[in-house]
Amino acid sequence: MGKNQLGEFEEVVLLTVAILQDEAYGIAIIDEMGKRLNRKVSIGSLQTVLRRLEKKGFLDSELGEATKVRGGKRKRFFTLTNLGKRTLEETKKQRLALWSAIPSFVNN
Amino acid sequence: MDQASKIYPPKLLLRFFRWFCHPDYLEDIEGDVIERFEKRVITQGSLVAKLLFTRDIFQLFRPSLIRPIEGTQKLNYYGMLKNYFKISLRNIQRHKTFSILNIAGLSVGLACSILILVYVKNEISYDTYNENYDKTYRLLQVFRSSKVADENPIVAPNEYQVWGNAPVGPAVTKEFPEIESFFRFTSPIQILVEYESKRFQENGFVFADSTAFQTFSWNMIVGDPKTALKDPNTIVLTETTSKKYFGDLNPIGQTLKIDQGDLFKVTGVMEDIPHNTHFTFEAMISMSTFQKYRPDIFNQWGYVDFYTYLQINSSADIAALESKFPELADRYLDDWTGYGMKLEPMSDAYLYSVAKRQPGPTGSLTNVYVFTSIAVFILLIACINFMNLSTARSVERAKEVAIRKAVGSQKIALIFQFLTEAVILTAIAAVLACGLVIFALPYLEILSGKVLDPTWLLQPYYLTIIISGVVGVGLLAGSYPAWILSNFRPVQVLKGSFKTSAKGVMLRKVLVVFQFSISIILLAGTTVVYYQLDHLRNHDLGFDNEQMLVIDFGWDSKVQKQREMFKEEMLKHPDVSAVTVSRAVPGDFFPGGGTGIEGTDGEMIYHSPGMYEIDEDFIPTMNMEIVAGRNYSKDFPLDSANALIINEASAKLFGYPKPEDIIGKKFDQWGRQGTVVGVVKNFNYVSLHRDVEPLSLRYGTPENTTKLTLKLKSTNYRQTITEIERKWAELAPHRPMISNFLDDKFNQQYAKDQQFGHVFTVFAGLAIFIACLGLFGLTIYSTAQRTKEIGIRKVLGASAQSILKLLSMDFLKLFAIALIIAIPLSYFMMDRWLEGFAYSISIGWQVFAAAAVVTLAVSLVTMSIKTISAAVSNPVDALRNE
Repeated sequence: MGKNQLGEFEEVVLLTVAILQDEAYGIAIIDEMGKRLNRKVSIGSLQTVLRRLEKKGFLDSELGEATKVRGGKRKRFFTLTNLGKRTLEETKKQRLALWSAIPSFVNN
Repeated sequence: MDQASKIYPPKLLLRFFRWFCHPDYLEDIEGDVIERFEKRVITQGSLVAKLLFTRDIFQLFRPSLIRPIEGTQKLNYYGMLKNYFKISLRNIQRHKTFSILNIAGLSVGLACSILILVYVKNEISYDTYNENYDKTYRLLQVFRSSKVADENPIVAPNEYQVWGNAPVGPAVTKEFPEIESFFRFTSPIQILVEYESKRFQENGFVFADSTAFQTFSWNMIVGDPKTALKDPNTIVLTETTSKKYFGDLNPIGQTLKIDQGDLFKVTGVMEDIPHNTHFTFEAMISMSTFQKYRPDIFNQWGYVDFYTYLQINSSADIAALESKFPELADRYLDDWTGYGMKLEPMSDAYLYSVAKRQPGPTGSLTNVYVFTSIAVFILLIACINFMNLSTARSVERAKEVAIRKAVGSQKIALIFQFLTEAVILTAIAAVLACGLVIFALPYLEILSGKVLDPTWLLQPYYLTIIISGVVGVGLLAGSYPAWILSNFRPVQVLKGSFKTSAKGVMLRKVLVVFQFSISIILLAGTTVVYYQLDHLRNHDLGFDNEQMLVIDFGWDSKVQKQREMFKEEMLKHPDVSAVTVSRAVPGDFFPGGGTGIEGTDGEMIYHSPGMYEIDEDFIPTMNMEIVAGRNYSKDFPLDSANALIINEASAKLFGYPKPEDIIGKKFDQWGRQGTVVGVVKNFNYVSLHRDVEPLSLRYGTPENTTKLTLKLKSTNYRQTITEIERKWAELAPHRPMISNFLDDKFNQQYAKDQQFGHVFTVFAGLAIFIACLGLFGLTIYSTAQRTKEIGIRKVLGASAQSILKLLSMDFLKLFAIALIIAIPLSYFMMDRWLEGFAYSISIGWQVFAAAAVVTLAVSLVTMSIKTISAAVSNPVDALRNE
């Protein structure tokens, strides 16, 4: 597993991309994270992570069509790769395994 | 939305972002930032939006998002250039013979060119160190008799002389406001200098005006340049002279005793005259001293002993100024119309001046041209080597080119590839050449007899020129092969139907012919120079110049008064067969003077022949021939007052083609009147560059003689000279004996020609060396290509000799063509060079035979290194590997 370990922020970003499906581009991801997690993320830190994840092969990206808004700049849409999906699954499994190993934390 | 789109994010920040952001990420991140900004304008207002935008931008400025330092948008050719470089180096390493031959040729060629450049630069740098170089002029003068001038008022440029009179300098400076100042110095005097108990015979001292340091930018080490030469009996020494007298003592204020009489005060020490000055001296004595001795000559327009330099305002019109000179001469000279003046810029003094009586050796413009063209030729030969070897190798590289093309290389890329290779080879050669230059410069200094300063080469300006020159040579050498090689058709080559084109072979032959023509021309030139120099040394001068020991006693009055005693004493030595005293001996400097001789119509004709002052023993001692009349003789005691001997050329000048007719005619010369008593056969008293010119040999009274000449019949010169020196020390203890052999001194006149010969020979030799390197390379390739042919021939019974003949025949044909081209060209060129001598050899077939044989022998030997091994090789080795 080792090098495919995800950081917390990476994991959150991957999950958000997964939620957004085909609409996952920079601002949309930030907005989604703000809405769901109440977490303010700067464009700089998000982009850094996105590029890193892309380089690691968890994400794929593609430029969209140019529109009149955004100063005519195209959006870059991110999608999960298979590796990304598998890694998320793996992480989830690990978390669940850990949770289920706790004896009586919830009931207390 | 419409409203929002009218508010733009801060431009400067956006530009900053575009500058730092990684270009791959730029577009979408910029879009994100702008989108967010647009949203915020609507929700939070433009001010907050702008502030937050600023924050966003700065948060984006992080290592993972900024543009990499080395630039992502690389030069289009960057990778390609790197590749060119790498491939070139590999090729150079792989084909060692080829690279070594080329680098050797090119480095020797470049080194020769740089050396010649240093030499030529030195020649054209003469006097340029002077601050007032552009406004300094020499005053040339002509001294003719009025009669000659009236008949032919036009003066040829080579009739003017630099050596002139004293009063003209002050006169023109006074009359013409545009002339700012004048500076005069005399020809060197011979004096005996004493400091404490040390004695020195000096012959490099001049009298000079106090404006010396104003006219020439010489550096005074100690002393005041403005006043050092003002007072009488003051002297300024050059550094070397000062060291010789005083060592490390402070020279200022020291006194020197000159000619056992007056004391002179040292008022200054100057740096030695720069080597690139058109004259030189060892010390300057103030002109006021001379004026004190001989006040009369400072008003005489006919007394010649001064070189005059003028500082002329740079805005002055030189032609207009010159046009005013005749009028000035008229005013100062009553009825003498033969005097004339002319200005010559200092920039002409060394290389361009044709005036007579120069204060120092002049350079030769022809030599500058000759050497420059040799430099160009040598470089060309080296470049041709490169072209030939590269194209000869083309078969070898054809496959490489074809595959490159097949996988998509463009022609231009291939051209670049080959040019890079050529330039890299040249660059390596250039580095080696620098080493060679450093090593060879001292030898060139010896050869050329000049002090050469190469440091100017390192100035950025010249360095740029040289580096671009090296690149230029690389491009020149590489252009043709690059073009040829890049033109190969891949299909043809890869199918195997490729052969070297006939055109390429033809061109290679033409280039070889060209190389060898140049080599033969240079070699023929060398041969001519040597024949000519030999001819000069062995020419019958009309007098004996061997075994003549000349003792120079200067103007020593003690010796002059007792000269008869000296002669008698010297004659007593068993090895001395004759003795004479005179003012000058052949090869020396001599004055000229107005001389009148009765013409055929009974009227006096005035000319200005050269003048020797001799005693009655001079003509027999020198073994000269009297063709008419008689020699001076003790039997005619009045000879010293009323007789004159002239040479044949003089007799002709005064209108007597037959020498006996002039005997008994009246003469008038320097205050002496009488009759011409004898005519001596023409003898060459100056260098053989010039014809024998009119000369008069007047009887020299004791106070006008400076040299004692002994004719020796010894075989052990060293011993004889030691004995004569001992005798001299007895007779004249106050004066050291300065002596030399007449022929040594006379042949020094050809030092310049000899130096030219040496330098020429060396460079001609190098040119042939480089050409042979190329030939060697070509032989290697052509034999390699014919390995199979040779093998088959041998199997079929060809002998080693016939193979050798076969391999050499190609070259011999080319050599014959080169010879046909070279002979007329070199004949023409060397004929021009020989025109500079009045006595020259005629260029015979021997010259060309010698040049041809040497070139041929050297080339055949070079080729044989490879051809012999090919001819004797075992055919099995050649044919086995199919």
